Order: sequence, then C-alpha cells, then structure tokens
Amino acid sequence: MNTRIAGWKGLGFAALALLLAGLALAAEEAGDSHQAHARNPGHDGHQMQFDRQGMVMNSNSTELPLNCQQLTEDVHFTVYAGTAHAFSAGQVFGYSQHEFSVSPCSRVTVHLVNEDQVRHQWMLHGLPRYLYPQGMFHLEAAGGQTVMGSFIVPADAATYLVHCDITQHMEKGMKAQLLVGKGNGNLWSIPGVSENFLADQEQLPDRWLLWLAMAGILLLAVSLARWRVLQRLLQTEK
Amino acid sequence: MRFPTTPLLRTAILLVLALLASALLYPPQWYPLQLRFELGRLLGVPQDISGVETAASNSPATALPEEACPQDLPGWRQEQVIEGVSIAASLGCLPDNPYAIAAFVKGTNNVSTETLLLAGLAPDAVVKGADLDGDGDADEIHIRLEVVELNGGSPDSLEPTAQFEIAPGIKPALWVFAPKSFGMATENFESDQAMPLLRLPSPAIRVEQGDRVKVTLENTHYLPHTIHFHGVDHPWLDANGQGNDGVPISSEMPLLPGEARTYEFTPRNSGTLFYHCHVQPQAHVLMGLQGMFIIEEQRADNTLQTLNIGAGHVRVRSADSREHYDEEFDLHYTDIDSRLGSVVQSSNQPATIRQWIEGGYDLQTANSDLYTLNGRAFPYTFRESLLLTRPDSRNRLRVLNAGSQGVALHTHGHKARVTHYDGVELAPGASYLRDVFWIASGQRLDLTLSTHNDGIHSYGSGVWLLHDHQGRGVMNNGIAPGGNVSAIVYEEYLGDNGWPITYGEALGKFFDASFYTRAPEVEASWQLTPWLLIRLALLMLTLGLALACLLRLVMLVTENNSTRSGS
Repeated sequence: MNTRIAGWKGLGFAALALLLAGLALAAEEAGDSHQAHARNPGHDGHQMQFDRQGMVMNSNSTELPLNCQQLTEDVHFTVYAGTAHAFSAGQVFGYSQHEFSVSPCSRVTVHLVNEDQVRHQWMLHGLPRYLYPQGMFHLEAAGGQTVMGSFIVPADAATYLVHCDITQHMEKGMKAQLLVGKGNGNLWSIPGVSENFLADQEQLPDRWLLWLAMAGILLLAVSLARWRVLQRLLQTEK
Repeated sequence: MRFPTTPLLRTAILLVLALLASALLYPPQWYPLQLRFELGRLLGVPQDISGVETAASNSPATALPEEACPQDLPGWRQEQVIEGVSIAASLGCLPDNPYAIAAFVKGTNNVSTETLLLAGLAPDAVVKGADLDGDGDADEIHIRLEVVELNGGSPDSLEPTAQFEIAPGIKPALWVFAPKSFGMATENFESDQAMPLLRLPSPAIRVEQGDRVKVTLENTHYLPHTIHFHGVDHPWLDANGQGNDGVPISSEMPLLPGEARTYEFTPRNSGTLFYHCHVQPQAHVLMGLQGMFIIEEQRADNTLQTLNIGAGHVRVRSADSREHYDEEFDLHYTDIDSRLGSVVQSSNQPATIRQWIEGGYDLQTANSDLYTLNGRAFPYTFRESLLLTRPDSRNRLRVLNAGSQGVALHTHGHKARVTHYDGVELAPGASYLRDVFWIASGQRLDLTLSTHNDGIHSYGSGVWLLHDHQGRGVMNNGIAPGGNVSAIVYEEYLGDNGWPITYGEALGKFFDASFYTRAPEVEASWQLTPWLLIRLALLMLTLGLALACLLRLVMLVTENNSTRSGS
C-alpha cells in the first residue's frame, strides 16, 4: 500500500520523463545507452537514460549556467563504485575517490563503473534548478554496469554533495564531495576528508561499574569533608 | 537572626540540608512505583493513557485530522485499466499504486517507461518470460529483491534515515526485502520519508503452480543475508550444485554486501507460504526480513499480481480466486521488539551492529512491544488494511503470522472457515467455522470469510473489528488501542473519504504521536544517560556530606561526653 506523496514523486519523474520522452524511448530502443547518448544530444542539451543498465538523469553537456560566459575546461572522472572501495574498516561501500575538484564553469563527465552485483548511484545535489530538475544530476549503474553523464557547474565556488541514496550506502561510506574552485568548506563524514558529525553513542559503563563509581564518590566526599576529623580519630586511637 | 555558633547545631543544620539535597537529587525514575504514580497524579502528569472517553455519542464520530486519510489526488482508489490490466477498486484511504500493480501483472519488462517511472520500479524488478505451456500466461518469472534498512541511523543526523512509521511517532529500525527500484530511497531530496516501495512488510510474492521461478537477491545491505523459502517446493541445491535453501549452517554461505544470488525452483503445489532471511534468523527475521509467498493454482490465462506491496487487498486476482471468491486479502502479522534494532540508530559501525544483533541482544529476555498487520499498527491499519466488503460476498483471507508470538485472530461479527493450514487443504469435514484462530509463529492459514447474514457467518453490516485477542497484540508500546487492530467494513459504512463511519469515540487523537509516548514517570526501566550520571555523582556528594556531618555529630557528642566525664 502506498502513500500518495509518493504518487507525486512518481508524477514528478513521469513529467520529467515526458519532457524527455523522445530521448528516453530512443535510449530504450537503442539498447546501448552510450550510443543513445551520442546520437541524441536532445533539446536543451538534456539527456536521459532508463534501462537495465541503469539510469542517467539531467545529463547536460551544452547548456551553460547563467553566471558562466563559456566553458573553462572539460573534466572526465572514471569512478569505480562498490564494496571493494570501502575507505576504512568501519565502512562497507565506497567510491574509488571521495573528493572531486573542478574549476568553475567546467563540464564534468562522470563514468560510473559499478564493480558490485547490486545497484549503485553517483548522485549530485544542489545544481541550479533552472537547468537540473530538483537541482540533481543522477547516475545509477546496475550491478556490473557502467553509465556516464555530464553536467556543467556554475561559476561560484561551492561544495556539492555526491552520494549513493540506496538506504545506508551513504552512511556506510558512499559519500563524496565535488569542489568547484576552492569550494565553500567540507561536508561532514566524507571518507578520508572529514569527520563524522556524530560519534557513535558512547558506551556507558555496566551497572556494577556505576555502583562502584558511586561508592567511590561517596567515600571521597566523606573523606574530603572530614579529613581532619579522621586524622584526629586516628590520633585518638593512638 | 544570628547564625548558630554552636558546632553541634551547625553540623545538625548542615546534615538536614545535605539530606534534603540528596532527597531532591535522588532520580525520580528510581522512586517506588506507587510513589511515582501518586506524584504523577499530584503534579498532573497525563495518566489517561487508556484511551477511554466517557462522553457517550450516538452520531458518527468525526474530527479526523486531514493527514489521517488524505484525499485521493492521484486517483488511485477507483477501478481502472493501466497497460491493459484491469485493476479493481480499492476504496480505503491509502490504496496500492495502480501503476506498480500493472507492472507486476505484465512484468516490468513489458510496460512503458512512463509506467515504470510512476511505479518507482527498475526495468528488471519483475521480468516475465515465455508462456511455456501455451495457456496464455507467462511461466518464466524472475523477481529481483533488494535489502533495505528503514529508520536506520546516520553519522550526520539524530533523525532516522528512510523513515517508515508503524504508528504515529513509532519508528523502529527495520530491514526489509523490497522490489528492485531506482533513484532516491526517500520521497524526494528534502524528505526523510522512505519511498512507498520501501516498507514493512516485505512484499507478498505470488507465482503460479508450475512456474519456473527465479528470485535474485541483490544484497544492497551492509550485512550478509539469504532467502529461505519456507514451505515452498524447492530443491535443496540448484542445477549447478549451488545452495538453494538459504541456510548458512547447511546449504550455502551467506550472501555478502554488494553480491547477488539467484534461487531457482518450480513449485508443484499451491498454497500460502512464506519466505525469510535465514542468516541469524532469530534476529534477522524479526528485523522484518520476512514475507508471504503464495503459489496460485494452475489455470489458463492466469493474471497474477506477482508482488503485493505492503500485502493487504489484492487488486488483480488469480483465475482461481476470481472463480471462487469476490475479494482476496493478504494479512501478514508480525511483532517487533524495538530494542533489537535500536543499535542501528545508535551506531554506524557494522561490526558493532552485527555484534548486538547476533548475540549482544538476548532473545531470552526479549519483549515485543509492537504488533503489526501488514507493516502498520492501529490507527494506521485503518488507512490501508481494512477488509472492505459487502453483504453476501466470499472473501479469501491468506494469513501469515511471522512474528515471535502466537496470534489469536478474532473476527467480530463473523465466524470464518479455515480451509488450509500451511498451504495444505484440510480434509473434507475437517474444515471448521470459528471466531478465534490460533496462528502459531511461522504458520499460515487460509480463511474464507462469508458475509452472508445468517447469524453464524455474519451478523450483518457494520464496522467489525479484526484483531489479535491477546492484550499485548492490540497495543503500541504498551498503550492501547494499537497493535494489529483492523476491521471488516461493509461498504455502506465506508465514508466517501475512505474512512469507516464509526459511532464510538473520535479517532483523531490516535493520530497524535504523543498518545503513544509513555509518560517517563510511568516508565519502569531506566537508562544511563550522561545527565543521570551527573545527577548520581551529585547525589553521592551530598550523601557524603550528610554522612560526614553525621560522623562529626557523633564525634562532637562523644567529645562532649568525654570532656564532661573527664572534668
């Protein structure tokens, strides 16, 4: 049973799909999405793929953001994704790199190579919404598949969130950041770059330890308050 | 007033002050129960957690908050045809997404991209292949399931991720099987609500007798899992000699994160069966890795809704069901001890999580606090798991209890007939009518609920409760009404808004999370919070002071005595 807000999400996706319908169908029919990309630059420079290889949404290789006069450079990243790329022992999933740096107004092309047998994503948030619906650029590769797409970053120095939104994949290591220019700071919990915002909740002591500590404090309190008295007591004993 | 100068008096006053401070610092959660109760009453702590309203009413109860039963904006409730699939009406508040249903009936490989996008499904979620026996329906069925964590933790937020509420404000950590989907796990980037394909219970799966079934488990989770097909006719090893039973201690190694494995079988018998993870099953099954597995009778032109998301009302029924019944419902009961999954919200370390789930948590002392029907507890059961019916109809109820406790399922106003146990039809004459059915842990029952008003099968039209007759089963977190309470609702008692027309107390208050929050004063157990630790340290300091004063008093008195006796 489904909640209806989801319906709206679905409708949103559908609207997007209709917008790019010709492309989507072409990509489906072409079977090989890479060829579809090459052959169908599409109006507005947007491209969409949705098939068994995966999904590419809001790919844009031509439209410049408003604050860019011209493309500054063409950057290509090949990102390997999967459990083999978990950054540390405490993590399960990861990318071959968790930080990407590009200059303002550059065209970024990402090849996402999924080395696992399950889906993975390379999803970037915060792009201008007038070019990228929901401000999102989304690559999703089915197990063992490779997908690619492009986007053009705006001129301002900013840090963008990159992640895999499958439940717990970001939390367990599939999180990265893309710096445009110098960026505007680090995001939390980027593997190899920044700390977690929250540490694991600290292990509180066992209860018997608590009782012991309480007894200790009690004794300390008594002795601190009555040290001299105790001394005198001992002296009287003598 | 002059400050008392006598050391004796000063010490006595200090002693009294220290004792007073100690009494105030003593943690209230350690007070005796009776004292807590009396204090709570004196201080006006809400004690009315029984949900009893004294005012009588003989008009329909209203005052339901808007969000309790939202308007059907996408038009999902009515009867409709999508991709050539006729989908029956489902007039409750939150019906299943008809686009997903159409995709499950035709196969996600045989519907348009638009339908898939509206359904949220991956193109290979349910692939339907050849019609091997030439009887008009696909017999090669390939289902892909992923493992999803709901209400999980995050190193960046105190709020759970991909949230799924069982009842207002109740969000225990859960693991579920979910159909292969695409895109975000939440409704959108701003939302923390899980998208609707990701929910408790794991989807009910339907195949036909004799189908060549493949189920691929794509382990998207960070811990190992498997699938065991409980009661489903399957070979122990598949044709390649790979384990097919899903049991790590006998048939195969657990499936690691990022890996996929396909289970294959051709079931020879029909029935209401079960599937669940078999890695550390005492914990993984109760985390939510459990679902119904239904094998329908072989028929020509059989239309099967291969997956029923969230179980419940079956909007596209099999040929056999259409021949013998008017409606069909999948009822999946389970119970949850929210303590079991609590670790995933407090730790982001897979090793710590695994340690707790697979040993730290002691099932011997477990105490289920949540009881669900189709993944929700009352009042949410009223939005999506009502049995909507009409007079003189035959309803097929397929019931699974996958929880750790038995369920004593009671039908108000009806006596239902049990026809199958664990997928096996009862011998003629052995099938009986009852109004309470005991369903053991892991057991399945097929019930026929007739609404013929003859004083036995049905007592007539109304809103008749359907619930576990054990007290614990009708509570959320120990507070009633909650748990697996649902109802058999005749269409004349269903409002246009999808909510039943009831004559008792107003139901709006149950949609308030605070109703199911236990007042801390009534909470019997206590937890070591940093605040409590500070409080205890202070308590010990004041107690120490008191003791020291006492000591000094004793000394002063003895000194006085000794000086007196000495002089």
